[in-house]
Order: sequence, then structure tokens, then C-alpha cells
Amino acid sequence: MSNKKVKAPEAGQWPDKVLIPALIAGAALTTIGFLMAFLWAAPVNGAQLSEPVLVGDVMVTHQQLLSQKIFYFHMPVAIVSFVALVFVAYYAIRFLSTRNQRFDTCGRVAMEITLLFVIFTMVTGDLWTRFEWGVWWTWDPRLTTYLILMLIVIAYFVMRGAVDDPERRATYSAVIGIIAFIDAPICMMITRLIPSSIHPVVLREGGMTPDMAATVFIVMAGMLLVAFGLYRLRFRQARLAERVEALKEQLED
Amino acid sequence: MNAILVDIYSTVAPSAPFIIAAYAIVWLALLIYVIITVNGLKKTEAQVALLEEALAAKTAKDNAPA
Amino acid sequence: MVQPPSTFAQYRVLLAKDLRQEFRTREMLTSMGIYALLVIIVYGAALALIARDVDIVTMGGGLLWALIVFTSLLGLGRSFAHEKEQGCMEGILLVPLDRSVVFLAKATANILFMLAVEIIAVPLFYFFFMTGQPAAATLPAIVAPLIVGTIGMAGIGTMLSTITMNTRAKDVMLAVLFIPLIYPLLYACVTATTAAITGNEFWMDFYIMPLVLACGYDVVMLLVCWVLYDFVVSA
Repeated sequence: MSNKKVKAPEAGQWPDKVLIPALIAGAALTTIGFLMAFLWAAPVNGAQLSEPVLVGDVMVTHQQLLSQKIFYFHMPVAIVSFVALVFVAYYAIRFLSTRNQRFDTCGRVAMEITLLFVIFTMVTGDLWTRFEWGVWWTWDPRLTTYLILMLIVIAYFVMRGAVDDPERRATYSAVIGIIAFIDAPICMMITRLIPSSIHPVVLREGGMTPDMAATVFIVMAGMLLVAFGLYRLRFRQARLAERVEALKEQLED
Repeated sequence: MNAILVDIYSTVAPSAPFIIAAYAIVWLALLIYVIITVNGLKKTEAQVALLEEALAAKTAKDNAPA
Repeated sequence: MVQPPSTFAQYRVLLAKDLRQEFRTREMLTSMGIYALLVIIVYGAALALIARDVDIVTMGGGLLWALIVFTSLLGLGRSFAHEKEQGCMEGILLVPLDRSVVFLAKATANILFMLAVEIIAVPLFYFFFMTGQPAAATLPAIVAPLIVGTIGMAGIGTMLSTITMNTRAKDVMLAVLFIPLIYPLLYACVTATTAAITGNEFWMDFYIMPLVLACGYDVVMLLVCWVLYDFVVSA
């Protein structure tokens, strides 16, 4: 235990002052992004047509895909889930170096946000897979990585439920959080680099056109703000619950 | 409507349910998470109120015999 | 002033303790060995109807690794049982030694036990399922992925079994944490093993890269476990 005064995060500090604007901005940005995805961003080309045709004043040579619109939310939530995991690892390291339970609370809440966004990623990705590849599940590298990540995050919460001593639970959680953070990219790399002869790798991702990139960027900014807002909200609740527990113990004495 | 125009948009209608489902599930999950959190917050705040009452009663009792 | 024993001496003493205990009771090796045999019997029932028609050799790598994963789960779950039951861990932690030495000694013991079981289980597996057709010339190459996989699994398994030693429902908890975390290693090792077993002309393409990646996983994960072990064991 260090006697040094550690500046621990607490409900009501500066991030809570920008919480409401952040949530409103997040909602607005995701809505704008949603509208941009469907109304503004150019549709993506699918299979080639037998002959080009003039629609309005644009020459169309390929099938126009609607399914790709999932991507505008899929990629941002995937990135946000990993950003949340970065915070889990950060708070885990802070906990291990300071032994301050507050960082454990932060890490736990960040892990909840990770789980939420990993589930978003899985749902959006899987519905796209079902339509484009015609199967509900395939052991594609990205799908596999996210399944494994989801299982690790669930294991994290299962493990928390099985340890009673708070100090010990916090330490174990921090360690599992760091290992999860390291394991996820390794999993991605290994499943991607190893050649797979079982099913062909479907590559239909050229570079992003500027309008696609702009849409993704706006949705991502919105999702980051939403994740931040959710995190602060949940953190405030977790802190209040902890204070209630502490008060109860004091009253019983 | 000519055949090529039909071909251009041939994947739109079949994929629509999946897209709607994807956006709807994400939105619903978000909503459920917010509802759970806000409910938890309300419950905890109610507990705080109860605790404050208990504390007030206790201090009143402690002070009364003196 | 007595000179404290060197780190290597501490490591040797701790490792010798585990090995001596195993030689006396033979608890771990017997239970893991019998369990491996039982899994093979389950495979026999599961593949009873198709074994003659389907080319089981291409499935061999996967089945073999499933056998190894489940057997090592059993062994890893028991690896701290003595320490826990007889309060021996407190004794070890009272000694002023570097905690990572405890990790290295325990992981080495687990590697040795798992390798010992594999020496029995892999030939048994071959005997029961793969003698139907002539073996590929590249079959001995499965040794490398087996060793690399065992090292990684024992390393991260030692770490996780230290954690689950103090949780409720410890055996389930170990599986819940262990299997997702070793997935990348398992995937790489299964690919390399299958390539070596089938041994067609392109087998090197599916052998070298996974093996290198598995080694990378081992290095990274063992380093992380080695650094974090102090926190886990002192908690």
C-alpha cells in the first residue's frame, strides 16, 4: 500500500460536467451519421451488371448494395469496444500500481461498456454475414476474434462473481483485464495470418471513398461520446452503490 | 420497369430485414442498458434516502437520553 | 551472515518439491493418463460409424489437440491442490524469494507432467485412429507444435489456476478462463499439427507460419504471466 495521495476518479468530477452535452452530442452525431449512411453516402457496388444503364444522370455498372449500410455502424462500434478495452487495461495497471479500489470500479465499468459494444459488433457483423455469405456463423478471423473476446469478457464477470474478498477480486480482475487486452490482438493476428484452406477469404473491402469515411468518422465520434456518457452514468451508479454499502456498515457498528 | 433496373436493386429488398434488424437490435440493446443503469441509480438513491432516515433516527435516539 | 541461495537454486528446490511429490503419489500422472485414455474411448464411440469411410487423418490434428486441452485442464486444475489443501502456499510465500520463481517452477512442473502424458497419449491416439493408412513422412514434425503448445498452455494455465484456486467452483472457472485465452495458440497448433499429419506437398505453408505465431504467443504470454504473477499470488 502506498501512502502517496492518489488522485482517484470520483463521480461529480469534471467529466460529469460535460456528461449531458456529451450525451446530447453523441445522440445527435449518431443520428446524423445514421441519416448520412442511408441518404447521403453512395451505395457500394456489388456484382457487375450485364450492361451499364443510366439512372437519373449517373452511369450504373454494378448492383447497388444496401447490406453494406450495416458497416457504417459496425466498424465504429468495433473500434469503440476496443477503445473501452484499452481503458480496462489502463485502469488495471493503475489499480495494480496504487491498490486503490476506485480503479477496480472504473475497470469493471469500462469492461461492461466493452461487453456492450462487443455485443453490438457481433450482432451487426453477424446479420451482415447471414445476408452476404448466407450462413449464420463462419469461422472468419474477425468473427472468431470477437467471439473469443466476448467469451473472455464474460469469463471476467463470471470470475468476479466467484471471488468474495474485494481486494483479491480487484487484483484478479486487473490481471484478467490486462491479459484480455493482450490476447485480443494476438487472436486477431493469428486467425488472420494463418492460411485457411477450408473456406475462401471473401475480400470485398476496397479503400473507403471520402463520403464513406466521413460517415464512419461521424458515427464513430458519436459512438465514442455515447460510450463515454454510458460509462460516466454507470460509474456514478456504481460509486453511489459502494457508498451505500460503506454507510450501511458504519450504521451497523 | 426494365430488367436491368430490377437487377441493380435486386439485393436491396432481401437485405432490408437484416439491416433493419441490425440497427434495431443495437438501438434496443442500448436502450435496455440505459434503462438498467437508470433503474439501478434510482434504487441506489432510494437506499441513500432510507439510510439518511435511519441515521437521523439513530442520532435522535442517541441524543434523547442524554 | 548466510548467503541467500541463488534464484536458480530456489527454482530447483521448488521444482524438485513438485516432482518428488508426484513420484511419491503419482496422483497427477495417473489421473491425467486415465483421463486421456477415456477421451480416446469417447472418440471411438463418437466416430464408430464413420471411422471406416471418412479420412480420419485430416481430423487427427484437431482431435489430438482436443484430447490435450481437456487432459491438461484436468492436470492444471489439480496443480495447486496440494498447496491449497495443506496450506503449503503460505509457507512458500513466507520465504523471501522472488514470486516469479514460484511461477517458473510451477509452470515447468506442469510442462513436464503434460509432456509425460502426451508421450503416452499421442502414440495411443495414433494406435487407435491413424494406423489405417500409411503415415506421412512428415509425421515426426508434430513434435514441435506439441512442445510449443504445451509450453504456452502450461504457462497461462499455471497463472489461471493460481487465480481459480481461490474462487468458488474452481474447475469450471479454470475452463471458462483457460479455453478462450488459449484459443489463438490452439488454432495455430492445430493447423501446424494437421499440416504435419497430412503431409502433402504444400504442408510447409501450413506448418512454419503457425509455428512461428505460436512461439510468438508463448513468448508474449509467458512474459505477461511472469510479470503479473507476483500480484496474483500475493493477493
